[in-house]
Amino acid sequence: MKYFLKTSKIALLLLGMVAAISCENELDLPEAGSQEDTTPPEANFIATVDINNFAIYNFANLSTSATTYSWDYGDGNTSSEVDGQNEYAAEGTYTVTLTASDALGVVSTFSDVVEVVEPEEPEAIIPVIIEPSFEDNTLPDGTGDGRDSWRNSDLGGVIQINTSSTVPEGGQAAKLPSDASRIGYQELTVTPNTDYRITYSYRIEDPGGSATVSVLPGGGYVDRATAEASAIVEFTGSDEDYTLVTLDFNSGADSTVSIFFYNASVEARIDNFTAGLQ
Amino acid sequence: MKTFKNLLMLLIVVSTVSCGDDFLEPVPTAVLVGETFPNNAEELESVLVSVYDALQGVNSLELTDASLNHSQQIEFYVTEMLSDNTRSKSGEGEAGQFDNFTVQPTNGFVFDYYRSMYDIITKANLVLDNIDLAGDDAATIEGEARFLRGLAYFNLVRSYGDVPLIDAPIIITDTEAQFTRVATSDIYDFIVTDFQNAISSLDVTSTPNRASKAAAQGMLAKVYLTQGTNYGEAQGLLEDIINSEQYALEADFRDVFFNEANGENIFTVGYVASNSLESQNFSAEMLNGVGRTSGVNYVTDEAIAALDEFGGDRAQYSKRVDAQQPTQTQVVKWIPNGDADLGIAETSSDPTSAGNDWIILRYADVLLMHVEAILAGGAQTTSSNALASFQEIRDRAGLADDPDNPDDDANTVTVITRDDLLVERRVELAFENHRIHDLRRFGVAQDVLTEFSNANGHSFSATDLLLPIPQFEINLSNGLLSQNPGY
Repeated sequence: MKYFLKTSKIALLLLGMVAAISCENELDLPEAGSQEDTTPPEANFIATVDINNFAIYNFANLSTSATTYSWDYGDGNTSSEVDGQNEYAAEGTYTVTLTASDALGVVSTFSDVVEVVEPEEPEAIIPVIIEPSFEDNTLPDGTGDGRDSWRNSDLGGVIQINTSSTVPEGGQAAKLPSDASRIGYQELTVTPNTDYRITYSYRIEDPGGSATVSVLPGGGYVDRATAEASAIVEFTGSDEDYTLVTLDFNSGADSTVSIFFYNASVEARIDNFTAGLQ
Repeated sequence: MKTFKNLLMLLIVVSTVSCGDDFLEPVPTAVLVGETFPNNAEELESVLVSVYDALQGVNSLELTDASLNHSQQIEFYVTEMLSDNTRSKSGEGEAGQFDNFTVQPTNGFVFDYYRSMYDIITKANLVLDNIDLAGDDAATIEGEARFLRGLAYFNLVRSYGDVPLIDAPIIITDTEAQFTRVATSDIYDFIVTDFQNAISSLDVTSTPNRASKAAAQGMLAKVYLTQGTNYGEAQGLLEDIINSEQYALEADFRDVFFNEANGENIFTVGYVASNSLESQNFSAEMLNGVGRTSGVNYVTDEAIAALDEFGGDRAQYSKRVDAQQPTQTQVVKWIPNGDADLGIAETSSDPTSAGNDWIILRYADVLLMHVEAILAGGAQTTSSNALASFQEIRDRAGLADDPDNPDDDANTVTVITRDDLLVERRVELAFENHRIHDLRRFGVAQDVLTEFSNANGHSFSATDLLLPIPQFEINLSNGLLSQNPGY
């Protein structure tokens, strides 16, 4: 009995050693002083320009396994902070170098180029309306009958040109006969999210009808019902004398808008489009 | 001698246990363990519900197992407390690591949040892999699962950077999928696809507790803004929500948080008071001395100053002086036990099983993202559509001009800079876990947090902007998973 106990103790002892050894293997503990620098430093950073000052760059230090850092901002300025920030005195291209080292003296360097340039304030496009007052020979190449830029056969027939009466601008105006089968349509290039103003003059020939001018988001319209339902802004008028109308609108997310005009019931005249910023 | 033998015995037991726990029974994060695979449409639906449960997280009230996922309930630790908006009262322990930018890879909240997001992803993958079991509502179920999966990946990629991409149910031996970090840009492509699918599959109207078309549109817009590309598409998505007229700002800011059936909230995580399975504990954690963990997510001096200066009516419903400790300031938005002075009723007789929902997306965020999309990375805008959205937010906050005084146009906005927008987002969405993501997205995190850290004696460096990959995962990965720089 005594003997048995002793054996079991030894067995237990053995078991304990085995368990300890198996754990040690899994943990893979290094022997002191015999290890190479298996985690040498690796320098890395990303540069971001300050949102309020184009001349200031912030540098986020993404180095690994390093303890000391040395920044060379490429303009003569240096730093030993972890993260860097530098204000450049002049526009230009600068090579920024980060040197990262660990306590064993192993060194890694990383360089990146920053462009210091004052951002241009983007100027809004002023839309160009071609044949704005329906005059002959006002296409960019000096030809045209005053209505070539206003066609869209999917939405309706081409406008007629009125040449016989006094019109607000020049000698001709757009004419929409009373059968309301004709339309005017032109796509304009604009800057997104900009406040624009389009003006025009119109009149109707007899009571009981109207003339509508609308601005549509985007372009490529092929369906009249869709076009009529899509207006960002529109005006339907029934004045019998030429009246100046102002349409203010915001171009929204689009870089194209379309002018679309049509009439109802009686003959209508439209003339003298202008486009500009509000 | 006898003592020695006993010690020996102890050593044996300890070494056996430690080996077993650490090396023989790992519980992988992104693998299905003990999950029932669905066999029919009804079971598939219940798996979908389990995805929402995974987002909801477990209240630690009765279930105290450390391996449970607390998900949305602990998100504020790894987001808001990492920002300059909140801190813990004591600055100590794992919560304090977020205050002073000393987060360790072993931090329990870092691991819990990571694990929770993969729990959502794993269960969503199970739904999507069995979508052919669904009946007529297959499209809706797919849309909901993809929305939740996209949301989980969006949270992961913003907080941890490159992360493993698991897009189908995997088994425990698929170590490569589990532990291979995929580039952030590829994760974003995956998120975009998920949200786009959700937009085309889901209905416009829905309870805010479930995924809807508008929720997916809003989250996709935020993804585009985060990527800094596709500003035009983001604007279009946001205008779809605005033009749908399904949502509007609540007239009273307080009602956004304390009248849950309001028309402003687009996607929320629902909780039910006094129900250990469906309630939440975060409301109590933000109080003084109630519950297991407490005194966290207290308001920083910087956030107090911002709210006092720019918050208008929002300040009083965002923060309050801690009555028990008047030098400290608490978050109001989620208080569980009411505040008579503020006209807020209690949501639960026991604050630790509170019913306050967590708001992930609301209409005010949509309006402010609309401004951000129009700014499109520029320094400022005067575009009338941006001004209109911005003014709506300020008017609701009581910052509008005095209607009785025609000369007063001090609060009529005529130009919005990026700084203006960032400040407005800070005070409108304070303590809703947006701040750290906003700082990252606006490209000012390093600047702002360096200043914040220096003023408060913390130790911020730029690598703190990404959380560490949990040490547990790195250990399990056998060297496959690399750590983020700085940890």
